[in-house]
Amino acid sequence: MYPRWLWSGFSLPGVVWLILLFLVPFYAVIGVAFGSVDPLLQTPVPAWNPATWNTGWITQVLQEMAPGGVYWDPVRRTIYYVAISLGLCLLIGYPVAYYIARHAGRTKTLLLVLLIIPFWISYLMRMLAWVNLLEPTGYATRFLDFTGVSDLAVRSGLLLNPQSWLGGASITVVLALVYGYIPYLILPLYAALDRIDRSHLEAARDLGASPFRTFLHVTLPLSKTGILGGCVLIALPMFGDYYTPDVISGAPSTTMIGNQIDLYFHGGPQPTKGAAITVVLSLFLLIVMGYYMWTIHRATREASRA
Amino acid sequence: MAHPKDRPTGWASNRREFLERSGGAALALSGAAGLLSACSNSTTTATSTNASGQKLGPGGYPLARPNQPVTLKRWEDPIDSNLPPETGGTFTIYNYPNYLDKGVMKSFGEKYGVEVQLTSFQDINSGIARLANGGVHPDVMENTPDNMARCVAAKLIKPLNLDYIPNLKKNLWPSLWSPYYDQESRYSVPYTTYATGILWRNDKVSEDIASMPQPLDIFWQAEAYKGKVALLSEPRETIAMALLRKGVPTGSNMSTLDLINTEDPDLINQAVADLKQLDSICHIKVGDTQFQTIPEGTTYLNQAWSGDWLAAYIFYLPKNTPASVMSYWKAPTGHVPVQNDCWSICSTTTKPVLSHLWLNYINDNGVARKNFLDFNGYQPPLEELDPSTLISDGTFPENARTAILTKDDFGQGHIEECTLTTTGQQLWQNGYSDFLAG
Repeated sequence: MYPRWLWSGFSLPGVVWLILLFLVPFYAVIGVAFGSVDPLLQTPVPAWNPATWNTGWITQVLQEMAPGGVYWDPVRRTIYYVAISLGLCLLIGYPVAYYIARHAGRTKTLLLVLLIIPFWISYLMRMLAWVNLLEPTGYATRFLDFTGVSDLAVRSGLLLNPQSWLGGASITVVLALVYGYIPYLILPLYAALDRIDRSHLEAARDLGASPFRTFLHVTLPLSKTGILGGCVLIALPMFGDYYTPDVISGAPSTTMIGNQIDLYFHGGPQPTKGAAITVVLSLFLLIVMGYYMWTIHRATREASRA
Repeated sequence: MAHPKDRPTGWASNRREFLERSGGAALALSGAAGLLSACSNSTTTATSTNASGQKLGPGGYPLARPNQPVTLKRWEDPIDSNLPPETGGTFTIYNYPNYLDKGVMKSFGEKYGVEVQLTSFQDINSGIARLANGGVHPDVMENTPDNMARCVAAKLIKPLNLDYIPNLKKNLWPSLWSPYYDQESRYSVPYTTYATGILWRNDKVSEDIASMPQPLDIFWQAEAYKGKVALLSEPRETIAMALLRKGVPTGSNMSTLDLINTEDPDLINQAVADLKQLDSICHIKVGDTQFQTIPEGTTYLNQAWSGDWLAAYIFYLPKNTPASVMSYWKAPTGHVPVQNDCWSICSTTTKPVLSHLWLNYINDNGVARKNFLDFNGYQPPLEELDPSTLISDGTFPENARTAILTKDDFGQGHIEECTLTTTGQQLWQNGYSDFLAG
């Protein structure tokens, strides 16, 4: 027979990876946030021992991120952008995942491959490509002009003029976030939808439920973990994103909280402040993550009862 | 401090540098551990005040100003004169990724029988941190005036023997032979120069900016160019521009030099408040790609370095766009911030003689000119590169005249954005953060 430790030993590389490449660096960020700055070289002096932590930076950052503080606008903007982007990603991504899982038939493999294609190119390169496409004479701008989308955006007050997609518009940043992150949502959604036992759907139909009611009362609840998983998967990086608004907009009116972190980590005497913003943001995301974990736990418990 | 070498050279490398920069930031965000070992060695107080009330910077030196030059103590003797250069092995240059012509490096390697290698940093602060923590062991580095005293205090750079560097006085502007931040050129020689002004498309912007009573007002009158107006993404440059626009406060006895190096919170806050108005006026953007966006016409009006006009003309102007559509304005000497970059020899060098020869080589007329015109786009302070010559020989068209610097730009009464105390740096950085928050 196999030794008892064999199977759990398979998790060792993952655990080591997690400790070395996540926990240790993250504790370093915490150490920096609660530490000080070398007066000569202006490099962070981390406080490794919690007993010596200087809470001044965290306190200051918390005040500045609160309503009325310097960072309130970027915080508010980040939450809006992420919320709207998540909504759009779900609106677009769910039907796609649903179609592939339920109706794609023989083309399922092909569609899945097509979904994975964006991963072949780095996120940044895809964003940079949009800079060319959305220039005043770019192909995308011309197409949006031709189809009347630009006019609609201008009339709605989302755009200054039909050629100003790169002129620091929030709509461009949101659409770029949607474009950049949507594949990461569709894949877990597809996996969740594909796992749904068809006998449940058939049972609902046999009991007289219309297709819409079947979807509403069977498919949607059963795909909830997939929806939450996909949302968490894309919301976490979106909250820390700084290069999308940097590349696509560049306007202070569209900066996200990640841009402030970027500013403080790129030189100057306050890397501790950058680390403090990172820690506060992480705490906020921990709450989001906690809700997800709790939902998953509850769903698993209910499934095992059933 | 402004660093135009953040400007990448070449369209492809533009993207490359952004990836590198972003990668660096991502690393910083996800794991600051790499930075940390640099932290524990230094105990020198960064800033304080001396007996005469002068603010002191790193190493206890007074904060260097053009009207308050600083002589840095040699922490060891320079190498002897007349030593033969080291040969064989690798010669490592520490610099921004796209700030030095590869052909120039290759020629140097061939001349002295070494393999020349470029080790790059994303910004000067992280570069110095890596040097301090032993993460890199370069022979020479690109440096900036505001970091000179810090590098000397931390013994990161070595004193020079100018016997090996005759090109300093043979080829370069006399105003930079003994610069205010490093009197007697004990630790550095100049590299490139630039001023900060306005770059615009005169076929898109109807105002005659250069003739305006205060040309900087154009940013606050740019309603017609919403979404097409940008400032440099540099805390010192943006806030200094807002300060210069309003000038020295009435009744104050401070100079313009004092103004752009002020640590007065009221002045900084007012400048930031003025900058924040630009969002509603012209939907202002920030970025350092004006050398590309202006010739391509994606922005019409930019705060810009003088080298941006030159780089735009050399590398980015579309074939069907005449150079005459690009204009550059800078204020007269004493009202325009100018800056230069430098070269220093790192304490980690294993080839000190060859390192001196590099500092001489990079200021050779032919080499510096090739680096400028073939790759870098930023003007070296060569005596032979005056506006008249560069225009008469056809290198640049007539309207480049305002973007080409002369030795007088670094002469008596010139102003620079100089080193601040730590408190001052925090003030400026927080002010910029406030502006960036929108």
